[in-house]
Amino acid sequence: MGIYKFIVLLVVFGFTSFVEARPISWTGGSTVMYKSNSMMSSYYYHYSPSFKYSVGAEYINERYYNDQYISIRSTYLLDRKNTKESQRNLYVTASLSTKRNDEFYYGVHGDWETRRYFTSFSMLDKRSNQKNYTENELQIGIAPYLGEYNQLHTWIMLKSKEDTRDSKWKTYPFIKLFKGDFLLEVGSKESHWDLHFMKRF
Amino acid sequence: MYKFLIITTLLISNNLYAMDKMHDHNSKQHNHDSRTAVDGSKTRLDDAMYNKFVSNLDSSQVVIVDVNGMVCDFCARGIEKTFYDDNLVKKVLVSLETGKVLIAYDNAKKVDFGEIKNIFLSNGQSATGMTLKKIT
Repeated sequence: MGIYKFIVLLVVFGFTSFVEARPISWTGGSTVMYKSNSMMSSYYYHYSPSFKYSVGAEYINERYYNDQYISIRSTYLLDRKNTKESQRNLYVTASLSTKRNDEFYYGVHGDWETRRYFTSFSMLDKRSNQKNYTENELQIGIAPYLGEYNQLHTWIMLKSKEDTRDSKWKTYPFIKLFKGDFLLEVGSKESHWDLHFMKRF
Repeated sequence: MYKFLIITTLLISNNLYAMDKMHDHNSKQHNHDSRTAVDGSKTRLDDAMYNKFVSNLDSSQVVIVDVNGMVCDFCARGIEKTFYDDNLVKKVLVSLETGKVLIAYDNAKKVDFGEIKNIFLSNGQSATGMTLKKIT
């Protein structure tokens, strides 16, 4: 798939949410993650039977609705382009709540990165009888230095995020750190904040 | 809007799937060519990196693999883990800067580029060439 088609996809899907660094692991790999922001927090475990997809279970605490539930979630890699200098990915994801049959979400996530630059987008559409909303997110980032394998890697990131429940785009900086199998993201703006921790094994 | 998104997603997914199949087909053809022409001639060695890697190795086979898509440490973690699953692998070195992975095998190992390519593929990267060196 050419870069122009990828850009068209970005436009078609609009500005989108819930960007995760590598939502699929290597074949046979597992990932645990914790995510928290002003709207929700979640614990998520996923397993990747193949580098093309992952399946997992997520415990979600929606602060906005004071609702807690477990969902079963799967992510599929639609397209990947590897070059010497970059990697580009396009994923689709879907999740079904175990608490209510009519509650589910689906979304799309794309990213492109080199060792120096990172860009991504995502959109997550959540549906049920009681709550319908969309989370859209864009990220850009730059690595201030190029770390080697096993060193600490640092990314200075800018995130722009919309939650249709309050219909406002919020843009704020955050920092992404990873070393070995661990990743940590922290960002904040006024009352809005994000925390994301991940470990792979 | 909701229905529009679902329909758009399905249409685009279908299109991407078809393109993916086409890409796989092309890759298989390329793979065939690679297997018959892997001489590592396009693999440029970093002498300092190589010398450090082999400095404490006894008799071994060292494979230097060119890899595409190895752009971040976090996404390359599986490479090391997967190669170490093979008991005949003595040492692995991932170099993000040069886009190369060095693997030291026991001499009993029959090195096969197809197998190496599959290991990289299972980690989401693409191996594009390799050089095999014997350490005595």
